[in-house]
Amino acid sequence: MTNLKKTYLSISIIVIFMFSFSYMLVPLYDIFCEITGLNGKTNQEKIVGINEVNTDRFVTVKFTSTVAGSEPFNFNPMENEMIVEVGKIYTTSYILTNNTNSLKQITASPSVVPGRDAEYFKKIECFCFTQQQINGKETKELPLQFVIDEDLPLNTKTLILSYTMFNTTDQLGAK
Amino acid sequence: MSANIHDIHDQHHHTPSGLMRWITTTNHKDIGSLYLWFSLVMFFIGGFMALIIRAELFEPGLQLVIPGFFNQMTTMHALIMIFGAVMPAFVGLANWQIPIMIGAPDMALPRLNNWSFWILPFAFTMLLSTLFFDSGGPAAGWTLYPPLSLQGGNSMPFVILSIHLLGISSILGAINVIATILNMRAPGMTLMKMPIFIWTWLITAFLLIAAMPVLAGAITMLLTDRFFGTSFFTASGGGDPVMFQHIFWFFGHPEVYILILPAFGIVSTIIPAFSRKKLFGYDSMVYATASIALLSFIVWAHHMFTVGMPLAGEIFFMLTTMLIAVPTGVKVFNWVATMWKGSMTFETPMLFALAFIILFTIGGFSGLMLAMTPADFQYHDTYFVVAHFHYVLVPGAVFAIIAAVYYWLPKWTGKMYSESLGKLHFWLTTVFVNVTFFPMHFVGLAGMPRRIPDYPVQFADFNAIASVGAFGFGLSQILFVYILYNTLKKDVTADDKVWDGAEGLEWTLSSPPPYHSFEKAPRVE
Amino acid sequence: MKNYLYMLALALPAEIMADWEVNMPRGVTPTSEIAYDIHMLMFWITVVIGILVFGVMIYSIIYHRKSVGHQPAKFHESTKVEIIWTVIPFLILVVCAVPATKALIMMEDTSDAGITLKVTGYQWMWEYEYLEDGVNFFSKIDNESNRARRLNSGQNVNNVDNYLRNVDNVVVLPTDTKVRVLLTASDVIHAWWVPELGGKKDAIPGYVNELWINIKKPGVYRGACAELCGKDHGFMPIVVRAVPKMEYEKWVTLQKDNRVAETKGN
Repeated sequence: MTNLKKTYLSISIIVIFMFSFSYMLVPLYDIFCEITGLNGKTNQEKIVGINEVNTDRFVTVKFTSTVAGSEPFNFNPMENEMIVEVGKIYTTSYILTNNTNSLKQITASPSVVPGRDAEYFKKIECFCFTQQQINGKETKELPLQFVIDEDLPLNTKTLILSYTMFNTTDQLGAK
Repeated sequence: MSANIHDIHDQHHHTPSGLMRWITTTNHKDIGSLYLWFSLVMFFIGGFMALIIRAELFEPGLQLVIPGFFNQMTTMHALIMIFGAVMPAFVGLANWQIPIMIGAPDMALPRLNNWSFWILPFAFTMLLSTLFFDSGGPAAGWTLYPPLSLQGGNSMPFVILSIHLLGISSILGAINVIATILNMRAPGMTLMKMPIFIWTWLITAFLLIAAMPVLAGAITMLLTDRFFGTSFFTASGGGDPVMFQHIFWFFGHPEVYILILPAFGIVSTIIPAFSRKKLFGYDSMVYATASIALLSFIVWAHHMFTVGMPLAGEIFFMLTTMLIAVPTGVKVFNWVATMWKGSMTFETPMLFALAFIILFTIGGFSGLMLAMTPADFQYHDTYFVVAHFHYVLVPGAVFAIIAAVYYWLPKWTGKMYSESLGKLHFWLTTVFVNVTFFPMHFVGLAGMPRRIPDYPVQFADFNAIASVGAFGFGLSQILFVYILYNTLKKDVTADDKVWDGAEGLEWTLSSPPPYHSFEKAPRVE
Repeated sequence: MKNYLYMLALALPAEIMADWEVNMPRGVTPTSEIAYDIHMLMFWITVVIGILVFGVMIYSIIYHRKSVGHQPAKFHESTKVEIIWTVIPFLILVVCAVPATKALIMMEDTSDAGITLKVTGYQWMWEYEYLEDGVNFFSKIDNESNRARRLNSGQNVNNVDNYLRNVDNVVVLPTDTKVRVLLTASDVIHAWWVPELGGKKDAIPGYVNELWINIKKPGVYRGACAELCGKDHGFMPIVVRAVPKMEYEKWVTLQKDNRVAETKGN
């Protein structure tokens, strides 16, 4: 009988552990993404204290944008392409227009291609860090400041940064 | 342990009759039968949905259903067949066979056993009722990938709750299996003397308790994403839809082996019985099963090679997946070696077991092809995949279940089924299974995606053949029901040792076995 | 067997002149060719293993049966044999893994692309954007197929030209150019797949995936969405027209003239 109880108890512990494990997978997955650049995830936090360096190495950075859910926004990069020196800080921006008449809550999610180089694309200032608001019929310039890390592998000559703009007004209401 | 036996004994001095007998039963045979009948009903419900799918796909153009309903059918067909037909059938076999194969009076936790069965009808009533909602049932595929599954109508919380219930039922069943096998074996039956079916079920039970809670976690996250403002899987809140796929398949791949390991156990029991020769390589069979189970936890991402993984990930998951072919190959070779220089006869269970080996191996071959990531970029989400998993699940898992029923039915009922009808059932089933699923390899390779209600005309011919096969297969199963009915109403009694080549404790009992299978534990040498 | 043939005959709608395509297309890009080669390699390996294993099995079924008076042998294990049939499959797999790994490294190398095509999946159509040339447009199923596909449309779909395989706006790509395809989606996960151009990849909302194609032969190549994306998942075809570079340049100029007014997000 004690044997049976022991079996019973240890199995229950496994069950509870595996259920918690599924939740533990969430932070583990983020760490995994950061290491491998899965999905082209880039840093979601500000990078501070970057020192500019001269490398005399130039790469092409392309910018692109998507509006999620066919929301009535116009969302485009200011420049489609920049030739940048690795290790130097650059500033550019995206332009967002709200074509509706009402205030919208928005958020943008960045993704870098090729994914394995995402970690070298460092954002110093980015509109992707926070939720933002845009008034009806307003056009906003969303600034972006970035630096390409000097450790970028030598065979990478082009990086593409993509932003997807989400309308999160409804989600906020649900909370 | 003797105290426990008395416990069980006392409960049954006054057994209620009629419906209450079945509702309150804690007897392993009653519960086993309930599971098996339930599974049969679900097999027909899921099969009916498959026939709706195949009828719509008989020719190009939409003739019968709208695309939204078609998607509900594919989703429901999968959920019903996996959780309603195949898993309960194996649990039913476990309930019937484990006590009588290890020399125990009953399962270790009889009341829990009653619970784990009676959860199922409620769960499936809830799941099936969603089809009658205005917004319809779940239509995002049984894999429930977000964001699509988050778009679903009102059915979503009901589907998730019913999957939770199914998970609880499976976990309770698995706890019972483990507790019984570890604590109630007859004296002298060491682990390495256990029948191979018991071994495969023990390992399956461990897979269940490790995998089902992960599924529960994944669908709970879906639920909170939809209703409570979390964003595990929505990019707008910093989540990632691909993460769901990782968590889901972390459950999903062990689940695949939950559906096939007991089948391996059944085939490893039947082949020696009708070859009149001991199972070849018992030890390596046990080790192969265990290594398949362990590998199943590190191969999950091969279900999602196209989500855009880092190169290292693609290579890792390709190699681990290929590795599974080694222990699986060992099993097939051992079965063939068991047959080699035996003295074979071909009764219905043996026929199904032989068909299992050939057709499951074909499914294994396409699995090996799918493991090759560069080629998988082409195969992924096509009918080639549909052909693959139906080959391992229908002539794999389902054939093993049918074989087990034919093999043990005379023991359970004390009555012998009609051998000629059984053989007819076998040939009809085997021919139609191939007519149904073999052409799917061709359309898949030629470029037909899965889960589409309509297709370009170039795929018409093979789809028509597959549809005809599906109807033939479905109708052949009515014969199976007739055979069961025909057997049960017979008066002729079967021998205690039905098959002359069969070995094991169950054949030392009377047919049908007494209410408390082994009142006195037998001694195993 | 007779039954089976009868069913086969019954199942052949005579009026359909379908091509009985049974294999993966070899395709017209380096990635599709390597996928095909690995597919065929694995196919033949499994055929050989299948013939050996099933051959032994069938021999045993014929000669080791009770009805021909065969007495069962007593052996039930042999460590030597078991080690052999663990090691040999393992070695075969190692042999297969080498070309597959090489192929993967080649397939994932998107560097030095000539042009970039961004593909965005919508429920249920595609948006194409040529990043360098500033051309963008939507592409959805053509009207004729779209009418015929309705439930009980009364139209015989066999009479529709390229039923479910035709779109209103065709993607035009230059041949002999490495094209980097960026994939993303607006709502749910889609997958962009043209079999003859090589493998598919998922288009995931919020994230960008990439693959590359380099079309060797001019022609029209058709594909479809390959990830369940809702009710009209089966009705979002893809058509790619590959043309020589010069012709592509002309097409781009024409598009710029025609679609100047069209802006993104409308």
